[in-house]
Amino acid sequence: MLQRLALRAQAYTPRVSLEPPDGLLLEVKGSLHLFAGVAGLRLAVADECRHLGMPSVVAFAPTPRAALALARAGRPHAVLDLSALTGALAPLPLATLGWPEDILERLARSGVRTIGAVIRLPRAGFARRFGAAQLAALDALTGRTADLRDVVRARLRFRRRRELVCELENIEAILAALAPLLAELGTFLRARQCGALELECRLGHRHSPPTSCLMRLAAPAADAHRLGELLGERLAALTLPEPVSDCELRTDALVPYRPDCPHLWRPGEHGGGFSGEASGLIERLRARLGEEAIHGLTLLEGHRPEKAWSRTAPPAIECSRTPRRYEPARSHRRPLWLLPAPQSLAAEDGLPRRRGPLLLLGEPERIETGWWDGGEIARDYYTAADSHGVLLWVFREREAPHGWYLHGVFG
Amino acid sequence: MDGAPKLARLLEHPAIWRGRGAARLKTLASGFAALDEWLPGGGWPRAGLIEILAARFGSGELYLLSPALAALTRAAAARWCVWVAPPLMPVAPALAAAGIALDRVAVVGGTRSLWAFEQVLGSGACDAALAWGGQPKPRELRRLQLAAERGRTLGVLFRPRRAARETSAAVLRLGLTPLAAGVRITLLKGRGAVRSTLELSWPPGTPGRTRG
Repeated sequence: MLQRLALRAQAYTPRVSLEPPDGLLLEVKGSLHLFAGVAGLRLAVADECRHLGMPSVVAFAPTPRAALALARAGRPHAVLDLSALTGALAPLPLATLGWPEDILERLARSGVRTIGAVIRLPRAGFARRFGAAQLAALDALTGRTADLRDVVRARLRFRRRRELVCELENIEAILAALAPLLAELGTFLRARQCGALELECRLGHRHSPPTSCLMRLAAPAADAHRLGELLGERLAALTLPEPVSDCELRTDALVPYRPDCPHLWRPGEHGGGFSGEASGLIERLRARLGEEAIHGLTLLEGHRPEKAWSRTAPPAIECSRTPRRYEPARSHRRPLWLLPAPQSLAAEDGLPRRRGPLLLLGEPERIETGWWDGGEIARDYYTAADSHGVLLWVFREREAPHGWYLHGVFG
Repeated sequence: MDGAPKLARLLEHPAIWRGRGAARLKTLASGFAALDEWLPGGGWPRAGLIEILAARFGSGELYLLSPALAALTRAAAARWCVWVAPPLMPVAPALAAAGIALDRVAVVGGTRSLWAFEQVLGSGACDAALAWGGQPKPRELRRLQLAAERGRTLGVLFRPRRAARETSAAVLRLGLTPLAAGVRITLLKGRGAVRSTLELSWPPGTPGRTRG
């Protein structure tokens, strides 16, 4: 509730901080003249609270803690001058400060019941008995020291909807209808120096549930034109159940955007970066071919051919790196291509055939086990040449019925 | 008076166009000395489309390219090396063993391979791109060639041998026939080159290629 109120209060000042359980602090010095002074601002804030159905006490003071103490004491004062602050605070009960119970109790035992009485205590003695932290709190209350506070920040999102004048079916027309929303999004992002990582386009229909089109970007984007192009690719692949009656654009949480500065060198030249080109490429491919369109490769620790590698995200984009030394290959004979699954081969007299007899070359390589993940194998791998001179990687099951399989092709 | 130096000086005139000399392409060492010597310009073109027409998949076409790909992906400012619609899965350990840096390799899947290939070539994010399949029309090949020049990418398109009859805008077209421990390469088209044949034998240690 307080959070919601804080977001509303940001209409009056950008610097709003929470003071749970019941307080909300607004730094309004700069906003006073915009809302017709203290009286006008008090009225506006009180109105806002009444609108939300919450009783409120609005107090103004030169320090945040003083304003909080006044409001918690139920005194809607407006103290604008630091010199008048101590006088206004003096009669307030100590409980309004929100200090720990045991400290308040010890103060009460020594007859200190109001803020004025606390301020009159000798500072050195107070610090010795109640700790430096308490003295600092007192100093912040009276404005001796500055009181820095965390500001509530709203999560920025963009969400705009547009009802169409007539129902549209044609993708071009829908894109044209989306253009003002995209332009608005571009302005929104530019003004906040933010970029979107996810953009959702919802197309509403008269009867069917809305069609949603979610676009994930490889890098934050803030350029409405580019977003529009990508969205166009995405929409072209969509099948709509019925004509579109309204459309809506939403972004997920925004991230800070650092615009690309044009490089002096072209990508790849003298170490010039190519991050813009690469992320653009990834997005174009994903927009047209789907999320799985592009992937990278990585090595895994595994001796079985199927488990020695895996797919990864597309390669990272570094601007420059140190050139790698070429490590000479270990002498293992692996083909450059692997079939998705071993393909059974016909056999004749115990030798495999594939469009004619296969000629087995060299010594077999035995690859076995894998009981720990259920992928147990027991195979003897051979290099085989077919009648056209193409080299294949075939294996023979070690267990009966000793079937022959094709598993790879040397490139 | 000796005529040869005079003639050489005369031929340096920029207005004189000579067949072999026109092949002043920026090239890339192929890793095979005999091949470098034979290829027009002294290696693979640094940018542009080349076509490799193999009678069968697995005639040694990748072993022909892998030293150059290894050098490209290991360079300091290496861009990507993208495999577009490979017919089977490339095996990461074998690529690494051939010296190709895997953190520069990306694979683009399945459908619409020609469109994806053109995007990859023209993006400027890749040093090399390999593509399989598709039946490009001459006009599409021209687009691919232009995209490769725009993106300064070496594009390699693998096609069946029968495509040799069609016209193509590729910078270089090679036909490949596997031999017992090597490969026979036929130059079908090259800038400033005449049709010729080279028999290249694989260096010792090429996986699966050398016997005994």
